[in-house]
Amino acid sequence: MKISIWGRELSAWVAGAALARAGNHIAFCSLGEQALADDLIVQSEPGLKELLLSQYNAGRIQFLEHDSFCSDCYENEVHWLAYGAGEYDQAVYLVQKLARTHTGQLLLINQSYFNLGATESLASYLDSKCGQFIACLPSTLSEGSALNDFLSPASFIAGCDQSQAFSHIRALLRPFMNNIKELQLMSAREAEFTKFAINGMLALRLGYINEMANLADSINVDIERVRDAMISDYRIGPHHLSPGCGFGGSVFSIYIRGLIEAFQHRQLPSILNTLIDENERQKELPFRKLWQHFACDVRGKTFTIWGASFKPLTANISNAPALKIIDALLAQGCSVRVHDPAALENLKSYYDCNKRGKVESLELCVDMYEALNNSSGLILATEWKQYFSPDYKELRKRMVVPLIIDGRNIYDREYLQDTGFIYYGVGR
Amino acid sequence: MRALTESVAWNNLQQHACAAKQQHLAALFAQDPQRFKRFSFQQGSLLLDLSKQRISIETVELLLQLAAQQELPARIEALFRGDIVNCSEQRPALHTALREPEGTVVRVDGKNIVPDIQRNLVRMKVLVDAIHSQQWRGYAGDAIDTIVCIGVGGSDLGPVMTCRALAEFAPEPAAHLKMHFVSSMDGSQLARELQKLIPERTLFIVASKSFSTIDTMANASTARAWLEKYTDAPVEVLLERHFIGISATAARMTEWGIHPEHQLEMWSWVGGRFSMWSAIGLPVALHIGYQGFLRLLEGAHQMDLHFRHSRLEQNLPVLLALTEIWNINFLGIHAHAILPYDGRLQHLPAYLEQLQMESNGKSTTRHNQSVSYRTCPVLWGEIGPNAQHAFYQLLHQGTEDVMCDFVVSARRYSHRKNDELRHQHHLAQANLLAQSRLLAFGDHALPPDAHTPAYKRYAGNQPSTTILLDQLTPETFGQLIALYEHKVFVQAMVWDINPFDQWGVEQGKVMATQLMPVLTDSSVALDAELDSSTANLVRAIRHEQKQENI
Repeated sequence: MKISIWGRELSAWVAGAALARAGNHIAFCSLGEQALADDLIVQSEPGLKELLLSQYNAGRIQFLEHDSFCSDCYENEVHWLAYGAGEYDQAVYLVQKLARTHTGQLLLINQSYFNLGATESLASYLDSKCGQFIACLPSTLSEGSALNDFLSPASFIAGCDQSQAFSHIRALLRPFMNNIKELQLMSAREAEFTKFAINGMLALRLGYINEMANLADSINVDIERVRDAMISDYRIGPHHLSPGCGFGGSVFSIYIRGLIEAFQHRQLPSILNTLIDENERQKELPFRKLWQHFACDVRGKTFTIWGASFKPLTANISNAPALKIIDALLAQGCSVRVHDPAALENLKSYYDCNKRGKVESLELCVDMYEALNNSSGLILATEWKQYFSPDYKELRKRMVVPLIIDGRNIYDREYLQDTGFIYYGVGR
Repeated sequence: MRALTESVAWNNLQQHACAAKQQHLAALFAQDPQRFKRFSFQQGSLLLDLSKQRISIETVELLLQLAAQQELPARIEALFRGDIVNCSEQRPALHTALREPEGTVVRVDGKNIVPDIQRNLVRMKVLVDAIHSQQWRGYAGDAIDTIVCIGVGGSDLGPVMTCRALAEFAPEPAAHLKMHFVSSMDGSQLARELQKLIPERTLFIVASKSFSTIDTMANASTARAWLEKYTDAPVEVLLERHFIGISATAARMTEWGIHPEHQLEMWSWVGGRFSMWSAIGLPVALHIGYQGFLRLLEGAHQMDLHFRHSRLEQNLPVLLALTEIWNINFLGIHAHAILPYDGRLQHLPAYLEQLQMESNGKSTTRHNQSVSYRTCPVLWGEIGPNAQHAFYQLLHQGTEDVMCDFVVSARRYSHRKNDELRHQHHLAQANLLAQSRLLAFGDHALPPDAHTPAYKRYAGNQPSTTILLDQLTPETFGQLIALYEHKVFVQAMVWDINPFDQWGVEQGKVMATQLMPVLTDSSVALDAELDSSTANLVRAIRHEQKQENI
């Protein structure tokens, strides 16, 4: 089949690569060739770059970002929508244009980060009598194993309100259905809701383990040991149970806030409200540990933050815990030195745009060790791999106080303490 | 010096009253179609309707002569200028200076106090900003989300009233703040709150002009002990991170442990019951925002300008004050009900009870003579519609003459078209109009019916004032409260009393201190001089305590 892929999210890349491998011809309509070389997702997702290159070389992948007015983009029979949360208007524009200009069978697969009901809304622009259909295929990809998740999924959920479209969907996904008996077919709204419900559940697990960690802190228990024991119970499993200084990102919060709005709209209380509030508090946990360590006297001191993106392997800082920590430290009259392998540019424009307080006290460092100069404490906020085994001697040399607040529990507490560091983790 | 009651103006009023007392309000309205126009006055967005008062053109003329005789214009100027108007304590009373905009000059002992006031406002803003931006941190590093305001009397009533009245003006950054007010000496309010509060996120504001008010300091100590019990954090840290002090005596705040950066100043030249415009208003600024607080000050300032510069016959506080003096001293009305037809003004009656009764509940002139006339009446009140189901029966058919103040806003819920709440506001307005009408006109407002039994009849002729605000906003609310403040001052000047002291509340505190030992220690012998009632009540208490300890 000939497939146009719209949007720049992870699922755009993964679906494009996988579908090309199955013999489809793929047109990336929102991406340029250059992205193959410098897109962070392509660089970081295991196996993705190699597969893309091989398919590109085989002539099954085209990049049409700068040619998006070329008719190829619109004439293909399948359109894969992998837009980000703020791109709904683009989707509407696209769907309207396709509805107007496309002739013959048309199948749209919506895998974008939109609100509940978006697929139904987009469907309203299409004419199903003329064979124009849209289905919601919620993304179940996890970063780090996304390609494998797509190539051999445990399940495929597809939601569509016109049953005539299911044979087309089945044909499209057939190459990846070896391990599953059948597609789980449902309405578009049910498929979307499934995605929201999954994300709510995962967020609850994170919120729950953080709550347990905070309690563990006050009763002298190491949450890491407790967690390891918990996940050995098959009913619980290992996913989304790492305690830390809160979760951020735009996608997670879109889903959670979307759910909260759905509850509020019906004037119902939700456990998710508490979850969001507590998560915001959790983001400040490293600040609180620092504050308590120095008995509230932090004014004039310099602190270091490693990791500003909301998670590793992204430059995205939306809702990142580091932002709240930086704000708190600046408000207390501290100097802050931040290192991040990818997010410094975003951080810079965030603080310039928001004009948040004394930005002159904020220094962005391209070298992770340079960020430690004159530091009275290091806060590890994002678990980039390069932070896992730093040169501890260098740390000692540059820091005024050998204090580490490990917001992601990546360090060996005993080792650090044995080598003369003061160590605080989350729940340990 | 001739006594007030022997003065020409007073005697003229008394003679006038003989005839005026016979006149029914219904007749006054019948005689003069221009009555509303003649006796209603506007200042900014505030309309003062005195037409349902039992006054005529002549009454007002005679009252204005009384005011002139008592040298009111000079007294008003003296108040604003910072003269020693509080003679028993040798102080000025400069609440008006607190509302002066930047750049003006008000001198006390030769020093311009406006820069001090402005500096204190800036310090207040810094605290408000820190709390609103969620960057005021408790001892454990949590952002403060709960404020407990500890104060009593003037340090409590003004902020409570204003926070409730203007809650809908809370800006977004204040939305996360929960405000609590505790004042009662026995700790019952505080104990109830503390059960629910999270120590890490709670900030106490301790407000006391002297920082020695026993009620407030007892509550503050309980709050401190509550924090100390909860955590091992050093007490200096708890005091620094969880207490703000507001007082005229910095030394006492420091001694108690309030961190110097968290002390806000007020001054000896502000009376407690006139102090919500000072740092005492910090809870207000926290609740409705610093800008909202400035709007409140601005509204009051507009009334100040009006009071200071308008001629007496157009001057709202003066006319309101004189009309009430007419009621009290010449028509013999000694009860005054405050009736806001707006739930947001729920605490207005309590505030005015203090403002008026503590200010003018005096019987000695400024020259240390006993007065030979009535001064402040008994004042009480309630949200009007609720009071209709409580004490209006007495207003309509009792044996007491009562003057009433009706307060309402013209517009509310304006942005909500055809909404149920808007309908409720109209319902409240209709009730206000009906009640003031029935009180004034009685049976005259009803279709004549010779067969109506006596118990269904309404005598009417109860005078009332209606204050109509365009809308309830920080500005109009500031205007309203300043109107009442100045009214109190005018009455005091006519009565020749000092409205700015409160010696009547001092001796009880001394006596209570003397009685403490016999209650806390059963081995302390009772003073043989103690009256038999008090002595036996102490014995009864001791007896019960002894039973408890067995």
